[in-house]
Amino acid sequence: MHSPDDNDIDALLRQSFEGPVADDGFTDRVMQRLPARRHRLSWPMLAGVAAGIATCWLSLSSAPLYRAGWTDWLSGHWSSPAIIVWLALSGMSLLALGWVLAEPENR
Amino acid sequence: MPLVADTPAQEQVDHALVTRVLLGNDPRAFEQLLRRHQGMVRAQLRRLTQGDEAAADDLAQETFVLAWRKLGQFRGEARFSTWLYRIAYSCFLQAYRRPAWSGRDTQEDTFEHHRAPDSSIDLQLDLARAMRKLSSAEQAVLLHGVQLGLSHEETAYVLGMPLGTVKTHATRGKAKLKTWLAAWQGTGNRE
Repeated sequence: MHSPDDNDIDALLRQSFEGPVADDGFTDRVMQRLPARRHRLSWPMLAGVAAGIATCWLSLSSAPLYRAGWTDWLSGHWSSPAIIVWLALSGMSLLALGWVLAEPENR
Repeated sequence: MPLVADTPAQEQVDHALVTRVLLGNDPRAFEQLLRRHQGMVRAQLRRLTQGDEAAADDLAQETFVLAWRKLGQFRGEARFSTWLYRIAYSCFLQAYRRPAWSGRDTQEDTFEHHRAPDSSIDLQLDLARAMRKLSSAEQAVLLHGVQLGLSHEETAYVLGMPLGTVKTHATRGKAKLKTWLAAWQGTGNRE
């Protein structure tokens, strides 16, 4: 006697499955239980970012290295201060990019 | 019993409804998603709870409330139905691990030998008994991989198991069923 093959077993299992359950008011009951969705407030975050940028700008604008670097960069002269400013801005941009990419994963 | 497999068009509808919920905070779009998927999620949970309809419906409610809360985490990497099955299975596991669950009657019965088969109903009863004799992992893999029509990869995603483990459980489970149901061979199991 041969045992049933895999296809027979699969067919039997599918045959024994009752399929989808009729709604019978289930959807309405669940809809009544749904809590309100929380809105993600974006304005506090934007305000925080703007305040951080403004504070950075104010505190760095009086630093000689920053002023020299910024001036050299705008004039196209790649001096050491200009390179340092460029590296600092690039690093901060990369950090911000990494944060933006990682943020949805943590929601 | 035809399986309710999502077609690409149905998947697109699901994704559009999810987008409507997320962008417009539209409960009616979620209601449509709920109506489309509640039947199969409840069927999945009824199987997992060994036919306990009340417990299955409680878990299904919990599943859809969680889906509503976590909808922003659905990224379309899996089908929406598969994502729901995963949440439902997770809810089931959490309930199953509670002490209150262990005292439930899971309709355990003795299953040692099969008498000469009488009809397809007897075959189904023997199959149900044989399924209950499988390990819980083998039952879960066969439920999702065969009865719900998921691929091995989707089954692994829903159950949180490595792909190789899913394949092993599927092979072992079917081998056990074949052995236990061997007496039915050639007696109308293709009805």
